[in-house]
Amino acid sequence: MIEQIDNLLSQARTDLAAAADEQHVEAARVKYLGKSGSLSSLRKGMGAVPPAERPKMGKLVTDAIAQFEALLDQTRSTLAQRALEKDLQREKLDVTLPGRTRRRGHRHPVSRALDDLIEIFARLGFHVADGPEIEWDLYNFEKLGIPADHPARDMQDTFYLTTRIPPPPGSPPTTGAQQQLLLRTHTSPVQARTMLAQPPPVRIIAPGKVYRVDSDVTHTPMFHQVECLHVEKGLSMAHLRGTLDAFAKAFFGPEIKTRLRPSYFPFTEPSAEVDVSHPLCGGKGCKICKGTGWLEVLGSGMVNPDVLAGVGYDPEQFTGYAFGVGIDRLAMLRHGIDDLRLLFENDVRFLEQL
Amino acid sequence: MRISLRWLRELCPVSLSDDEIARRLTLAGLEVEGRESRSIGSGVVAARVVSRTPVEGSDHLSVCQVDDGKGTHQVVCGAQNYAAGDVVPLAQPGATLPNGLQIKKAKLRGVESNGMLCSQRELGLSDDHAGLMILPRDSRLGAPLDELLGLPDTVFEINVTPNRPDALSHLGIARELSALTGVPVRIPRTQPAGDAKVPAHVHDEDPARCPRYLARVIEGVKVGPSPLPIQERLRSCGVRPISNVVDATNLALLELGHPLHGFDLDRLAGEKIIVRRAAEGETMTTLDGKERKLTADDLVIADAEKPVALAGVMGGQTSEVSASTTRILLESAMFEAKGIRRTARRHGLHTEASHRFERGMDEKTAALAADRGAELIAQLAGGRVLPGAIDRYPAPLPQTQVWVRPARVSALLGSEVPAREVEQLLGALQLEPLDGNPERRLWGVPSWRRDLTREIDCIEEVARLRGYDAIPIETPKAGVGETAAILPQARVKSAARASLEAGGFDEVLNYSFLPERDLLALDPAAQFLRVANPLTVEQGVMRTSLWPGLLRNLGHNLSRGLRDLRLYELGRIYLPAPDPRHPDGPLAWPVWEPDHLALATTGRRAPKGWTGGGEASDFYDLKGAVEELCEAMGIAGVRFAPAQVPPLHPASASEILVAGRRAGVLGQLHPTAAAHFEVPPQTFVAELNWQALLGAATALHGFHGLPKFPAVARDLAFVVAAAVPAEKMLEEIRAADAGKLLEQVTLFDVYRGAPVPEGKKSMAFGLSLRATDRTLTDGEADALCAGIRDRLKSALGAEIRG
Repeated sequence: MIEQIDNLLSQARTDLAAAADEQHVEAARVKYLGKSGSLSSLRKGMGAVPPAERPKMGKLVTDAIAQFEALLDQTRSTLAQRALEKDLQREKLDVTLPGRTRRRGHRHPVSRALDDLIEIFARLGFHVADGPEIEWDLYNFEKLGIPADHPARDMQDTFYLTTRIPPPPGSPPTTGAQQQLLLRTHTSPVQARTMLAQPPPVRIIAPGKVYRVDSDVTHTPMFHQVECLHVEKGLSMAHLRGTLDAFAKAFFGPEIKTRLRPSYFPFTEPSAEVDVSHPLCGGKGCKICKGTGWLEVLGSGMVNPDVLAGVGYDPEQFTGYAFGVGIDRLAMLRHGIDDLRLLFENDVRFLEQL
Repeated sequence: MRISLRWLRELCPVSLSDDEIARRLTLAGLEVEGRESRSIGSGVVAARVVSRTPVEGSDHLSVCQVDDGKGTHQVVCGAQNYAAGDVVPLAQPGATLPNGLQIKKAKLRGVESNGMLCSQRELGLSDDHAGLMILPRDSRLGAPLDELLGLPDTVFEINVTPNRPDALSHLGIARELSALTGVPVRIPRTQPAGDAKVPAHVHDEDPARCPRYLARVIEGVKVGPSPLPIQERLRSCGVRPISNVVDATNLALLELGHPLHGFDLDRLAGEKIIVRRAAEGETMTTLDGKERKLTADDLVIADAEKPVALAGVMGGQTSEVSASTTRILLESAMFEAKGIRRTARRHGLHTEASHRFERGMDEKTAALAADRGAELIAQLAGGRVLPGAIDRYPAPLPQTQVWVRPARVSALLGSEVPAREVEQLLGALQLEPLDGNPERRLWGVPSWRRDLTREIDCIEEVARLRGYDAIPIETPKAGVGETAAILPQARVKSAARASLEAGGFDEVLNYSFLPERDLLALDPAAQFLRVANPLTVEQGVMRTSLWPGLLRNLGHNLSRGLRDLRLYELGRIYLPAPDPRHPDGPLAWPVWEPDHLALATTGRRAPKGWTGGGEASDFYDLKGAVEELCEAMGIAGVRFAPAQVPPLHPASASEILVAGRRAGVLGQLHPTAAAHFEVPPQTFVAELNWQALLGAATALHGFHGLPKFPAVARDLAFVVAAAVPAEKMLEEIRAADAGKLLEQVTLFDVYRGAPVPEGKKSMAFGLSLRATDRTLTDGEADALCAGIRDRLKSALGAEIRG
């Protein structure tokens, strides 16, 4: 029997050495260890062994099986190693062939700038408020301290609509002039609407489209603004400066500086034009900023007490600041776009670059 | 407002450089937007034309001998407006003109020319190029032109905001400069008019529209040109010199800011001035030669018979100062702002006078201007200012008084501003302390600062003069609960954008107004809002669909050689209907402005590459993009159904149903519409109601656990009538699943053609079956498949395919 075991093992070794793949290995396993495999049958034949020799023989068979199994494992791992080596040797791909891609779409630079502003101001604690683009004269002008025949109306040439739609019940425009429908010339009407709708404190931004009768190299009849309004007790121009500075740095980069210059807007007092150091020339002065190093980007100021009183807030108790920033110009500055018309031509070759 | 720095320095003699003046004014709110150096430079001198003879063989050139005081030179000249004896500017060889032209000795038509005789334009003085600039005959020969004209000078273009009409003059800017530097202003001294009776009559019939009317009379004037430096001063401020009398009034205007008008007193019927409203339909001819039809809202200056000026806007021709004028009635009046604005608008006029009156002039300065104007007329045109003035001023304006609290100044400016500083700055602007104490003081506002009526206005003045740089930078605190959360809508919106970008869609932004024909091409019955004053008819109506814009964008890109286009726009449309979201009450919106999302595709799914591609995209590409979008937005229960959509091809016109309600439409563009927009017939468009999508969207999904038991996969293929929609098959498959074992059904093949019989199609479905509480047995799976087989056969006549 010992001899038989040795023979079987040496035969198995030969078989496994010749095994070229997993199928051969499996065949060998079945041959020796299957239900009627030759090593398995030795175990079955144990009954014929004299009882005294059984423990010794049993151990021999068990050892043989263990040896065979070790052999199997070894063969398998050798085969795997061989297969791996073969795989690693296979012909190299032309890795310079282009990969399979899907063309991705591109955001419009203005809508991206708009989203960035919304996010920046969210971090500064501002909520987004909404208002109509087709607006009554009342909210676009009167509620903001610009009555009919006010010279400040010259600053904003207005598109009017021919349609006369009587205001719905309970809405404030009463006179014919107040009911005149127009395309809002700024996002500021949202200020008035928001303050009429809620008591202070107010901390909102109002992004959206605005319209002015103007079309040349630096103006389009439609453009985008974000209005910012913060009314609370104890706000000062220092907070206006702080908010503007935070916004400019968040949008253009930490090295950007801001500068306020006195100006005039009917709905703010004091009013300020805001310049940022030119992001492209780093404030050194170049052709675009006319050598000054500064670019005018927005109008701002402390909310005019008359506007606060007009919406029922007490201007002695509450102060606020507000500003309106032109998004299109910001987007152009950020991307170095030199022609405003590109923004609304929607040329894919333009969009793809941004 | 154009400001001559020479003039400004005369009124406020600061020793600052031009740059520093510009910087200080700009930082005080008087923005210097541009500047111009006015200098002709050396080598251009006055010279007398001694003789002028035509150059042989030329029809316009003359050869002149000119005397520059040192000698006679030969110059060839092409101008025609001069004769021997005239004094003209001679640019000598070596001179460089302001336009860069270098003067050299030259030969013209073989004739030697030692320099050039110049026009105003060639000297950079004005646009006048009608001929040579003719200088006064008594000009010193050889004198540099700069010296004769009072140059060099620098001119600032200052942007004066509408609240500061007081700054629309050299005096106004000088006052600012004085307040900023402490250098006192030198106001031109004038003789008081005295009490004498003036030989003219003034009736102010409308004191509301004309609160003050002052007149002075100057006799014995001789109308002619003004001296060169006066002319140059006017030109540098953008005003054309006309005659000494008119120039004098303009000079006073530019100096003091108050508009004046000189009438030829002998041409005023009855030597009378009547300030009145025009009769409806009355006419007059203004100085620009236009006949104006007036309305009863127009205020006019009339004589005994007829209107002679459009009050505060423009004079009339009948009483215009002319060469024969000897007696002048000088008007210095105050007109109400809004009335002037209405008249100026109505007649399409915008003049130096109307610009100022619209913004509000000063009744007190009117008196100063009258005296100053009269003196300047006498100075430039000779004659004598008659003593006495007519002054119709029934209700003098009281001085404005404002209480100012330094504590409030500090609170608004965000840092401590001492009371002393507030007083010093307000004093610098010539406000007078009237009453009160350091905590609270009453200030009298100078008459020319009509914009200062409230404490806040004075706070702004303090802030301005201190400089906004003095304001500290402080970030407002974000209180607890104020920090904006990420709103579900924002989350869904960015998910939608990400999906569209992944799908290859480029975002476009179009104008909200578009040509009417583009809307009508899509829907002849479209109702829309119309712009009353569009810049062009191409922007005449408000869009009621995003498609026209997108289709024009496709056209634009196609015409530039691009082929494969996928565009989207997310924006408002404007409907002439009440807004259901903001229907009534104090915050109602005038019209309905729903947000829409539109998609348009044309060309290939992907360009041809080495791995494939190049197939034309079709309806299912667009539909897939919409499905991906809905998935990204977390919208469940989206269905598509055929629908009638006029601008779409009937074969694929369909609607998107979200929760059973139409949330948009999509399909291939109707061939007629494609032709209108000049895009290929294979153009596919979708327009979705953004609000409906948002309403059904899920910003954040809940977690439902992982399956605990394995799934069983089965494939089933059916042959069914070709007309049976896929959705019907899926519905029936689901309906057969009473035990809710069907986890997923995928339609993985649709096939028509042999061996499938004519009029039939084969559809193959992959099923994934799973029970939540046990491992499914083969028997259970087989039973469900049999059930599906039976149901599809009885409901749809579908046969299982071998």
